Amino acid sequence: MRHRNLFLFVAGIFFGFVLSRSGASDFRLIHAFFTGRDFTVAGIMAIAIATACLGMRLLKIKNISLSGEPLRIDKKGLHRFSLAGAALFGLGWGMTGSCPGTILVQVGEGKVLALFTLSGLAFGTWLYSFLLDVKKKK
Amino acid sequence: MHDRFLAAIFVSRWQWWAGGISLGLTVPAMYYFFNTPLGISTGYGNLVRILCPRVKSSWLNSDTFRDVWNWRLFFMAGVLAGGFLSSFMSGRTGVLVSMESFTGFIRMPFPVACLHMFSGGLLLGLGSRISGGCTSGHSIHGISNLHPSSMFITAVFVLFGVISSAFLRLFYGGPLP
Repeated sequence: MRHRNLFLFVAGIFFGFVLSRSGASDFRLIHAFFTGRDFTVAGIMAIAIATACLGMRLLKIKNISLSGEPLRIDKKGLHRFSLAGAALFGLGWGMTGSCPGTILVQVGEGKVLALFTLSGLAFGTWLYSFLLDVKKKK
Repeated sequence: MHDRFLAAIFVSRWQWWAGGISLGLTVPAMYYFFNTPLGISTGYGNLVRILCPRVKSSWLNSDTFRDVWNWRLFFMAGVLAGGFLSSFMSGRTGVLVSMESFTGFIRMPFPVACLHMFSGGLLLGLGSRISGGCTSGHSIHGISNLHPSSMFITAVFVLFGVISSAFLRLFYGGPLP
């Protein structure tokens, strides 16, 4: 596809805009969900999953993308550290009230504290790569 | 009527179902138009490579990052621009030092909050890489494709989110949302 990256930039704008407009980038909403006071976030997630599931069902009937190739569905598996990784992610999610997507939204919204979360995320990604090398050497 | 329509989109918060449906549609749309799974967190690897081009670590030099200026980076840039567009259109442009909602509910001096956010971000980065995805990749994309691993991982995400939020309230709790 010509200008593929440009269209992906536009898709990103849509995704970020919706996250921001529905309140997913607001600490209040995430914190209220985790402390059991407001389940708006759970509702957003549930509807998003149901919609995506239905859409994928329809898409899989023909199983081709716009350019005519078969869909390359990403399969995610489990390994022995998955549980620990998910636990670390969950702790970070509760601490910051944001996830890798909404941090970018918050930075776009001009929230200064999100810059620290963003730096932490970049550092964490590097640390993963670093630890992987350490593990291999053993 | 026209003004009210624009205000509903750009100024007031969307109804939960409207946001959810729009977010959900991105998964099939990404597959149909670009034949690529929805996901954000891997793109932070591109960011690290661009910030530190000489990084030696082998995973950051793997095939995933052969081209660091690939779609992931453009998608991420779009998400950031989307956040800006949203606050710009609703008339909230400008830098929010307090990050409103965080400092409103958590009592923490600013330098401590900075450190807290950095540590939280570190856990998010490390955790999403080890478990293979984040809220977009696992929880929305993975569950909607009925991957059992994503369902399990999302349950653990939420469980530990509840745990850390409880500790946050215990040590730094301000007014409740």
